[in-house]
Amino acid sequence: MTRPSLEKGNNMQQARKPDPVDVVIVGMGASGGTAAKVLCEAGLKVVGLDRGPWLRPKEHFSGDEIKFLNRTYLWSDPRVNPRTVRMDEGETAVPTPFSMTPQMVGGGTVHWAGWLPRPRPSDFMMRTLHGDIDGASLADWPVSYDDLEPYLSKVEWAFGCAGLDGADKYEPYRSTPYPCPPLPPTRAGKRFYEACEKLGINAMPIPQALVTQPYRGRTPSNWTSFWNGYGDPTGMRSSTLTTFVPEALATGNLDLRAECYVREVTVGPDGRATGVVYIDALGREVEQEANLVVLGLGAVESARLMLLSTSRYFPDGLANSSGQVGRNATFHEYLFAVGLFDDEQPLYGFPGNYISGGSFQFYETDYDRGHIGGALIGASHVGQPVNWNFPGRPQWGSASKDADRDFYNHAMKVGHTLHDMPVESNRVDLDPEVKDAWGLPAARITHKAHPNDVRLAKWQVDKNVEILEAAGAWKTIPVYLERGRASGNTCHQHGTVRMGTDPATTVLNKWCQAHDVGNLYVLDGSSFPTATGVNPTLTIMANAWRCADYIVNTHAKGREARSTSGRPVQTLTRTSGGQRVDIDG
Amino acid sequence: MTSMADWPVVLPPAGLADARLFFTDHEWDTIDAATARILPTDHEPGAREAHVVRFIDRYLSGVEYVYAAADGSGFLQMDGKLADAWRARIADLGAIYRQGVRDLDAIALGQFGADFVALGEDEQDVVLERLSGAPKPGPVTRVDSDGNPTIQVYAFDDGLDFFELLVSHTRQGFYGDPIYGGNHDRVGWEVIGFPGPESLKATIDGTYSVREYYVQEFDWRDLIPHLRGEAGS
Repeated sequence: MTRPSLEKGNNMQQARKPDPVDVVIVGMGASGGTAAKVLCEAGLKVVGLDRGPWLRPKEHFSGDEIKFLNRTYLWSDPRVNPRTVRMDEGETAVPTPFSMTPQMVGGGTVHWAGWLPRPRPSDFMMRTLHGDIDGASLADWPVSYDDLEPYLSKVEWAFGCAGLDGADKYEPYRSTPYPCPPLPPTRAGKRFYEACEKLGINAMPIPQALVTQPYRGRTPSNWTSFWNGYGDPTGMRSSTLTTFVPEALATGNLDLRAECYVREVTVGPDGRATGVVYIDALGREVEQEANLVVLGLGAVESARLMLLSTSRYFPDGLANSSGQVGRNATFHEYLFAVGLFDDEQPLYGFPGNYISGGSFQFYETDYDRGHIGGALIGASHVGQPVNWNFPGRPQWGSASKDADRDFYNHAMKVGHTLHDMPVESNRVDLDPEVKDAWGLPAARITHKAHPNDVRLAKWQVDKNVEILEAAGAWKTIPVYLERGRASGNTCHQHGTVRMGTDPATTVLNKWCQAHDVGNLYVLDGSSFPTATGVNPTLTIMANAWRCADYIVNTHAKGREARSTSGRPVQTLTRTSGGQRVDIDG
Repeated sequence: MTSMADWPVVLPPAGLADARLFFTDHEWDTIDAATARILPTDHEPGAREAHVVRFIDRYLSGVEYVYAAADGSGFLQMDGKLADAWRARIADLGAIYRQGVRDLDAIALGQFGADFVALGEDEQDVVLERLSGAPKPGPVTRVDSDGNPTIQVYAFDDGLDFFELLVSHTRQGFYGDPIYGGNHDRVGWEVIGFPGPESLKATIDGTYSVREYYVQEFDWRDLIPHLRGEAGS
């Protein structure tokens, strides 16, 4: 492993070209960290690049609300990494901090609350179940829940997950129990369970990426409640920064280079990827050659990098012969309702590790509701004093002070992330005007919610309100998806580089290998044909593990069958052991 | 360039607590008075007692006090593109505040014939109503308009106007960690009943815990009927 040697930074000459490696991974977050672990443990030589810093939890994280929630210490800075957003092609996109997933080693698993629910079998077959929906581009996944199930278990056990066996009445098949029991409920969580029982709703602790007992060298030791949006200094939370990345480093096979900004995936005269070009922490341009390129930047930035990587072979962007790169983007807008209570006994607004109980009872489609899809309902705490969730709070004056004083410890929140429909015109492309701090075009997001999204959100938020009322709320405050305009308030990104069987309509095959470029894999959420109704990280990590296994066991060993298009797919040229051996596909 | 992981910690200079770093005396007094109307003093302390104006003044003074060190021992000395971005952001915010004080005075002079800071509280409220373009908010009522549009969960300062910044920064200076110059003597936390940490360090080393606020005695079978195997549960 190397950290950039910053003391030598006075002369800005070209850096010496590093030796070629087996695999270069771009983006060391949920998917990149998982891939690094699997590939390095299998003996492949890997260079891991991340645009952001490599922070040290005990040294850099603490319960500082201003720093983490208001001054965006982890959240990607919109002045460095701007995004622009518009609702349709007739508008000029304006700079908007939309889905600003942290760009750093560990990625979105550093600041997250750790929602780790499993997807459901129906998530993988939306088109089979519902056919074609007007204005949407529903598609089945080329893999099923059963294909992914062993990897869901692997991630839960290797990463650390708390859950309660047998509590979810709607749970699909599990090959393993949960490795850790759940956290104790908070008072607000208990109120949620009681309300659900009253309404006949099956509630359960939402599976969460943390440890609640000594586990793999970690201890449950963060009881500060500075949780959602904060880095965890203790290692109680499961993050690739503190689990899979160190495990990959421990093999000796990972060379992790932080603050290295990849601006292009390079393509050789044969149309294969040859590696990447990046700008290192000292501002030097470096070319890293590799036999295989893995992208894991998140669905917005992976699509952007592919569109930036134009070449003679791929004038419209890398592996984009289908014209589908960037399209069918989905973003899981977070919608919710807050309940204010007037009980004498406080519920307390702050304690807990954000997530309390939840329910899958309204997850599957019920056509009587007037829409398809459903949601995982989740109860959560309202947060710390500055930013606690109280939409429509009186902004100033004694009413504002009273609102905080009367209700901060008498509030709870129930919400869901929206299972939004894929729409071909909802996309990521390159902004023609706005550039990032490196002078490259910003990602431009064109997004307008599908009518099904608006109806689904309305029904679910009204169900959130009903639960809060059953819990005894004095007042409920719903937050709807109005006028089809999403704010981009989650880090969930999917669908811009879809996987599927048809190279004309999808970018990746079922192993998340590009149809056009046999040595390019995209392992983040961008491969998702549909968004699923659950927080995506577990599915992203399990899928990355599955595909990395394929790289190790099939691709790297030259066992790969011919690609679906009938062209032979080039396989990995191993550089390990000092000799290059071409293995034909 | 120093990597973000290695930004040095700079100890706070002597006298920081009493220093006026950005505002002129008139600007200081005006912002102090305005924040005192955003979160007023009543039978409990308000923005003025929390030293919210000091919080804002320190924030606007440059990039030296944007991020406290994780353990609160000092402040991070930023470098690179993030420091450039913050310098530009702080410069923009400073200009908005400077103009905002002029606007408060212009409205005050036009309507009441004196600077904002010289007005009585009710008159100051009228000026803030003019500035915000909306009536002063009334108390929380049980039933109000139906529904709110979805918004960002985290607050960014970019794109906010002066009044929005004033409201946002007053909250931050009242309820944020005292390391940033506001929430003096933790008065903000006391007002709303938040048992905040003694120090940032206490949130790292395990000495700060709110575990007693979790439910202590419980049985999942009581909370989840399905675990009891009940029909229809």
